[in-house]
Amino acid sequence: MTNKPLLILCLGNEIVSDDAFGPAVSRALRDEPDLNRHADILFAPVAGFHLLDLFQGRDKILIVDTIVTGTAAAGTLHSFPAGVLTPSKHLTTSHQISLPTALELGKRLGLKMPEVVDVVAVEAQDLETLSEELTQPVRDALDGALARIRAWVAENAVEDVQYAGKQ
Amino acid sequence: MKSIVIDPITRLEGHGKIHLFVNDDGSLANCYFQIPELRGFEKFCQGRPVEELCRIVTRICGVCPDAHHMAAAKAADGVYGAKLPPAATKLRNLVYNAFYAGDHATHFYALSGPDFVCGPDAPPAERNILGVVAKVGLEAGKAVIAQRAAGQRIIEIIGGKKVHPMTALPGGMSKRVSKAEQQEMIKLGEQMVEFAKFTIQILNDVVLANKAYVDLILSNSFTHQTYNMGLVDANGKVNFYEGKVRVVGPDGKKHAEYEAKDYLEYVAEHVEPYSYLKYPYLKKIGWKGFVDGVDSGVYKASPLSRLNVSDGMATPLAQAEYERFYETLTKDKSGKTMVHATLATHWARVVELVYACEATLMMAKDDEITSDTIHVPPKKENFVGEGVGIVEAPRGTLTHHYKTDQNGMVTEANLIVGTTNNNAPITMSIKRAAEGLIKKGTPITNGTLNRIEMAFRAYDPCFGCATHSLPGEMPLEVVVHDAESGEIVDTTYRNC
Repeated sequence: MTNKPLLILCLGNEIVSDDAFGPAVSRALRDEPDLNRHADILFAPVAGFHLLDLFQGRDKILIVDTIVTGTAAAGTLHSFPAGVLTPSKHLTTSHQISLPTALELGKRLGLKMPEVVDVVAVEAQDLETLSEELTQPVRDALDGALARIRAWVAENAVEDVQYAGKQ
Repeated sequence: MKSIVIDPITRLEGHGKIHLFVNDDGSLANCYFQIPELRGFEKFCQGRPVEELCRIVTRICGVCPDAHHMAAAKAADGVYGAKLPPAATKLRNLVYNAFYAGDHATHFYALSGPDFVCGPDAPPAERNILGVVAKVGLEAGKAVIAQRAAGQRIIEIIGGKKVHPMTALPGGMSKRVSKAEQQEMIKLGEQMVEFAKFTIQILNDVVLANKAYVDLILSNSFTHQTYNMGLVDANGKVNFYEGKVRVVGPDGKKHAEYEAKDYLEYVAEHVEPYSYLKYPYLKKIGWKGFVDGVDSGVYKASPLSRLNVSDGMATPLAQAEYERFYETLTKDKSGKTMVHATLATHWARVVELVYACEATLMMAKDDEITSDTIHVPPKKENFVGEGVGIVEAPRGTLTHHYKTDQNGMVTEANLIVGTTNNNAPITMSIKRAAEGLIKKGTPITNGTLNRIEMAFRAYDPCFGCATHSLPGEMPLEVVVHDAESGEIVDTTYRNC
């Protein structure tokens, strides 16, 4: 199966409270046929080198993740190009390599790296408790995140498209 | 007295924080190593089917999900009293060695490599894998990527997924391997052995050929004489997946050799009020504080420990490297003389990398891995209700211990993960390194702090699973306090 040029990459961990935001977004988008026509939607509980593997061959990537800036209320959505703001939860991993390092390494090794890597991240309330439940503020942010993702795909898809949400 | 805080530590999993308390005369008074925590793993497991844990535990650590998968599967085997068919054991062994080869390669090239290849005084922006590639050549970067891809493909073939395997279950495995997949894995294994040889060359050319680095490795600042722990096979050789746990004293004398199920007879855990992470120690010797020597129950579980407790390696190239390691560092290639230099752990990790690659190839060639009999359903009459699974995670002995009710629903879970074993020695290593580096009148530079970090980076600590926390590389912040007034007298930032 050929990869689509656009990838919605949902990072996170299903069993660590608000870190399950990425997988929750992935589940919510999985059944949107319009969106899936233009972008692959992937949940990946990974970081570091593993991101390099997922990036190869894509034109543009939107990463969905959690973040703790400490300057915004839990549930606040942040949108930014990767590498600009405080690193989100999975865009850096001290054990392996950070996202900017992964991208740069890929380029130096001659791999096809995406020209655009954007991020939608939710301000987390709890990233310490093992739980399959999102906290209420983060759960409330889901619809807003889905709207931003649809807008990103509409803006970046090769053809002119509009999304009304789940059909 | 001044307090130096290193927070958070760079290039290791989780958010550790080091507090160094410095006397007015510049000498080090004490060292505290603090770890945050993810809460409630034991409670999270309660009430779940024990076979489900094999898949859940891969999520508690982003670095070694394969190790947790295997330890959980072995513990679940114990709960059900399951007997595995030979093919299942071989498949688990094979996929585990493939995982090991990738994990050790990542550490050598992306984590420890920058310290030696770029040097401890190199700017943080250069002291990473890009710096390694710049110095060693693009070929190294391409080799690491290819090595990772090879290992992940084998994990995908046997484990069902590239990163988080899911095919081990009580009584065996759930996915067969075809003849075509076997042939593919043989080719990948051959590629991995070539990578191992390439890595030996890099180690020789870049690290061992540099006398300053070798002196650093052997310096007193990075030496601790503790007990060592590791799994050994029936021949006393290093084994990552199965065998008995052997513990050897700093004097080279065997302290214990036991089955996984008996671990509580030998290991206990000490608690300090300032750290969430416990301090395991040898029960029969006792907790004597953060001190080394034969009278202290502190032990290490690391690549160096595994080499120290073993009688050698089970594959030829790895055995040759084992002998070279001990010949160089102790003048005795038999390995009977212990190596206590913490930084030699990096070299030991390369010896293990060689073994993992050779073992992958060797096991891939075994035709039994394509057998149709990969699972024997557990029998009700063999049900035990309690199981302990021990494997060697790349960063130390990993123990999963589950108790269940008569329906196999978990009632209790206990984990001692690789990094937890090394909590006390890591603390001691940091203090020893700091004592040797922080002197009155000598400015504390980034290079100084990095050398202190090198003391624990050698353990490849992963606090993600040690405390069930998760990763994040952030700038390093060093704060120096006046202990009398509490005022901040100096702050240093390191933007990594």
